[in-house]
Amino acid sequence: MVDDKKSSGRAEKHVRPIETRYARSGDVRIAYQVVGHGSFDLVFVPGFISNLDLHWEDEGYSRLLKRLSAFSRLILFDKRGTGLSDRVDTHHLPNLETRMDDVRAVMDAVGSGRAALLGASEGSPMAMLFAATYPERTRALILYGGYAHFHKWVMPADRLNAFIETAETSWGTGATLSNFAPGRVDDSHFVQWWARFERLSASPTAAAALARMNAGIDVRGILPTISASTLLIHRRNDIRVDPEASRFLVRNIPNARLVEIPGRDHPVWTGDVDRVADLIEEFLTGEPVVAETERVLAALLVTRIYDTARLGDRMWDERSLRFQETWRHIVIRHGGCHLDIHGETMIARFDGPARAIRCAATLREAAQEIGIASAQGAHVGEIELRGPPTGLTARIASQLASHAERGDILASRLIADLSPGSGLHFVDAGRIALDELDEPLALVRAMSEQHLEPACPPKIRASEPAVLTARECEVVSLIADGKSNAAIAAELRLSEHTVKRHVANILFKLDLPSRAAAAAFSARHAGPDGP
Amino acid sequence: MLTKTEAVNGAAIKKAIEGRDGKTLSGFYSDDALLRVIDRNNPPSKPREVRGRAAISTFWDDICSRAMTHKVETTITQGDGLAFTQACAYPDGTKVFCAAVLELKDGRIARQTVVQAWDE
Repeated sequence: MVDDKKSSGRAEKHVRPIETRYARSGDVRIAYQVVGHGSFDLVFVPGFISNLDLHWEDEGYSRLLKRLSAFSRLILFDKRGTGLSDRVDTHHLPNLETRMDDVRAVMDAVGSGRAALLGASEGSPMAMLFAATYPERTRALILYGGYAHFHKWVMPADRLNAFIETAETSWGTGATLSNFAPGRVDDSHFVQWWARFERLSASPTAAAALARMNAGIDVRGILPTISASTLLIHRRNDIRVDPEASRFLVRNIPNARLVEIPGRDHPVWTGDVDRVADLIEEFLTGEPVVAETERVLAALLVTRIYDTARLGDRMWDERSLRFQETWRHIVIRHGGCHLDIHGETMIARFDGPARAIRCAATLREAAQEIGIASAQGAHVGEIELRGPPTGLTARIASQLASHAERGDILASRLIADLSPGSGLHFVDAGRIALDELDEPLALVRAMSEQHLEPACPPKIRASEPAVLTARECEVVSLIADGKSNAAIAAELRLSEHTVKRHVANILFKLDLPSRAAAAAFSARHAGPDGP
Repeated sequence: MLTKTEAVNGAAIKKAIEGRDGKTLSGFYSDDALLRVIDRNNPPSKPREVRGRAAISTFWDDICSRAMTHKVETTITQGDGLAFTQACAYPDGTKVFCAAVLELKDGRIARQTVVQAWDE
């Protein structure tokens, strides 16, 4: 294991950054990148706008590109006027033929004699035109969310005008996202990325001009001349391009096959990216994609936030957004991985249960600081690495979060059993009957983090309980019940700060190293009158 | 089955690879040949397997369609076994190095294993 880590660390160190180069197409420079070393070439013809650098910063986009470049030599480029390629006169935009010729120029620059073409969305008509013009250079054709006629299958003229108006007035804010991926509009991280994607891919004038130019696309006449083997992929409820567009293509391209897949979001790098990559890989390599065995043992932490202070919608939205941002940072800081944000429920994955619980404790404090209530559940089990968090482990963790009360970190007993020596402190929290389990699940409640007992026992024996004041005795007995400072403060109607002072005094007076030791002390000295 | 094919030996392989002659290369294989590729993306426990002359033809057509240089440097023949090394370079200077071991049967390549690595 250690050796593996070392060697992968060495490999990472020497990996070259992806180089961006420029091919000359007439007087214009086209930016391109080449990734992977598969035995055949695959050219990705992007849609409306693109930016080669930015793609790698989005999880879905980079996942797609990594999957494709694992079996091919993947050639990426930005169309003229977009991304890193030369800007063009927006009043004299190039026609589809000129843009198609950019594909040829890039292929020439990378020494690609023939390649499979993947045209996504607006990239599809370009790819089709290339396949019809250069059959000898087209190994195969894949069209994702494609169409042959803009007004018929993307939007009629009146909707196009409204779209262009939005683009002109609010370009760069991410306002167009709802037109492409409504499923992601609540994902503030992605909305920010999309806004940058707009700004770095095209200027507002260029975006409006591109949209107008795309509206003129009609390649229906060339479809029967495409001889390359063609795979069409379309999401059944695609919000941007009507699936009828691909059904028309499959009827008119001689050697085509259509696969409709579930989903609504249009960009190829959103939604179930692996499903799309699987289809492309199988089509191009001829080998069915063997599902990767990506089930791993992991700890899942489900964090639920809610409003107890009747903040009102606006303030709640602000605070919940603030917490979601904080959640992202805290999860990463604890070595976790974001799996899902669904409304007010967030799911993160961790390699070890102790990390999950420490993260939960930090999240609890963050929620308190922001002024919202949190309740969390953690469970450990096998989970699928690919796709959204589903399966028994995720369902159990979610149910524990639903069952948890305000400020609680409720975990299965397994979490505590796998965390010996971590310094974490758990108290028994009974059992919960879950429909999917034969036996009720034993639960623990995670308490505030404790420090490990010192290796050597303290030289001075703990003093007699008589030295504690009556209030301190109350506090120590509540510590023994496993209550947090906040809970003790609530019960004794003191401020949390005062409770902290009491705890510090108790530890000092009894010369004990930790709360756990104080709890043990209390248990040893428990009597009818308390410690 | 090709009616007229060149004899498979180190010199013929060198000439076909360096000349990016996919058609001649494909003719060197038996109908049911197996070509295995081991590299970073295709680890030894799950190598890429290209089976049969049709699939192997596509494989070589893909490789030979690239404007890259190939140089077969060392060729060793021993009975029905043949091995060679191949140094390749893309137009941008990226280098790929391959070592191939072949088993011949009835004068055709029946089995070939390629191990390759590249600049990154």
